[in-house]
Amino acid sequence: MSVQASPIATTSSTRRALDRLTWTIAPGVPFVIVLLIWIAATDILQPSKETLPPVSDVLWSIKELALSGQLATNVVASLYRLLLGSILGIITGLIGGVIVGLNRKLAESLNPIVVFFNAISGIVWLPLMITWLGIGTALAVFLIWNTVFFIVFQNAALGVQLVPEVYEQSVRALGGGRWHTMRTVILPGALPYILTGVRTGLGFGWRALIAAELVGAATGLGTMIFDAAEYHRSDIIVAGCLIIGVIAIAMDRWLLLPIERRTVRRWGLVADAEKER
Amino acid sequence: MSVVGAEHVPAARPMPVVTGWAVAARQLRGVKILFPFIVLVAIWWAIQAVGNFPDRVLVSPQRVFDTMVLLVSRGVIAEYVSTSLKIIGIATAISIVIGVPIGFAVGANRYAARSLEGFLRFLQGVSGIAWLPLIIIWFGFTHTTTLAVVIYTLIVPIIFNTMIGARAIPEHYGLALRSLGASRLRLITDVYLPGALPSIVVGLRLGMGYGWRALIAAEMLVRQGGLGDLIFGARTSGQIDRIIGGMIIIGTLYLLIDRLLVQPIENLTIARWGVLRK
Repeated sequence: MSVQASPIATTSSTRRALDRLTWTIAPGVPFVIVLLIWIAATDILQPSKETLPPVSDVLWSIKELALSGQLATNVVASLYRLLLGSILGIITGLIGGVIVGLNRKLAESLNPIVVFFNAISGIVWLPLMITWLGIGTALAVFLIWNTVFFIVFQNAALGVQLVPEVYEQSVRALGGGRWHTMRTVILPGALPYILTGVRTGLGFGWRALIAAELVGAATGLGTMIFDAAEYHRSDIIVAGCLIIGVIAIAMDRWLLLPIERRTVRRWGLVADAEKER
Repeated sequence: MSVVGAEHVPAARPMPVVTGWAVAARQLRGVKILFPFIVLVAIWWAIQAVGNFPDRVLVSPQRVFDTMVLLVSRGVIAEYVSTSLKIIGIATAISIVIGVPIGFAVGANRYAARSLEGFLRFLQGVSGIAWLPLIIIWFGFTHTTTLAVVIYTLIVPIIFNTMIGARAIPEHYGLALRSLGASRLRLITDVYLPGALPSIVVGLRLGMGYGWRALIAAEMLVRQGGLGDLIFGARTSGQIDRIIGGMIIIGTLYLLIDRLLVQPIENLTIARWGVLRK
């Protein structure tokens, strides 16, 4: 865009190397800044360990949690729930979203109820579902399914609706059948939205899980944090939050991003935009 | 492109002459919105009647209705509702004012976009609720705690979607305008803002959905009033009618916010740009 931002604009090789370096370290910059502020804050303000634990305390408690095996138990419990709830949510959301996206009338008549249940999806069900399902895995899985479903559903429906009708009509005019149009026009066209939905859905499903675990489970990362709060162990709270974030990023990076790359980029939707910049 | 958009909203256009037909059509629209809910309540009633469940498992729609009437007439609901609405309103305003400019700034520069994307995903991964125990230590069991959690939840989707919207605009649109001598301001008002608006609204809608939920969740744990407090408090005393009544109010309130505030904005943007299939 601007001259500084475009590596092609300059011919100097040092400049190009510098650009490449900036590009590589860019994702780490915000983290380093936050870390520096954190260190500075604990150093200068000297807050109590309860208010803001020093970096060393948090690192130490991560080590402790890992060595005692507590961390592994909680992470496995949380991931298992997430996997189960998300798979259910993605499958049901995708099927529902594509059907509704293809049918404007159905979309209009279902919209009130979708908006209503979207508004109360996830954590709002917690009090009722604790009564019905009790505390444990079924409760968390329900809440995750409920959360993931609506995101995938709405994104799939929107993606299908946004496919230009001209494309569909041209394939139809050339003799493409309903299934053929679906496979070659509708689904590829809606794919970026569907994948955005899955990616966002997993991110939000993950947070719904943590919220559910705060009160509705006996194991899991949320439970770990909430238990720590009772003993005012801020170091464990912060450690737990960091681990939660790292797992979320790892899932995104090694699971969802490769899927997006293999599908969306293949269709030339993202790659082009990035080449241009 | 714009032709499709122009045709899109005949139902919303004010009728020049209110004939009997128009009134009937409007009533039909109301029925259409309520119809799925009527079916749902009927199913609920049937399940309750057939299953004959005890009161602490499931109560009839009639019971829930009576409880809601009682709570509304006593003014209990108004207090819980106003607490929740105030927080979500303030949180939304703050999130838009801060989030949209950040989204544009980040979306306009590929280095900034790259550097903040991972960080935003990290923040999104750590839900506001996970920070709640720490925030409670900072601000105590107060509305400030709830507000902090809600802003944290709301602002991330807004920044993220503004960024995606800004990056999805084909660069030659901007270049075309610039080569014709447009200023930076013109670029923002004529290319970036309209181009990114549908995406921003998607972010706002998502953010509101999740901010609303974070609000309820935080209220459940902070227990200082608000609708989350209402339904979670009812759970401890096993009052299913209060829980379901509270859920209906939470859903209805969100529906009203969505219909009266977010939807009109969406109609103005997405429908106007003519990208939505009829």
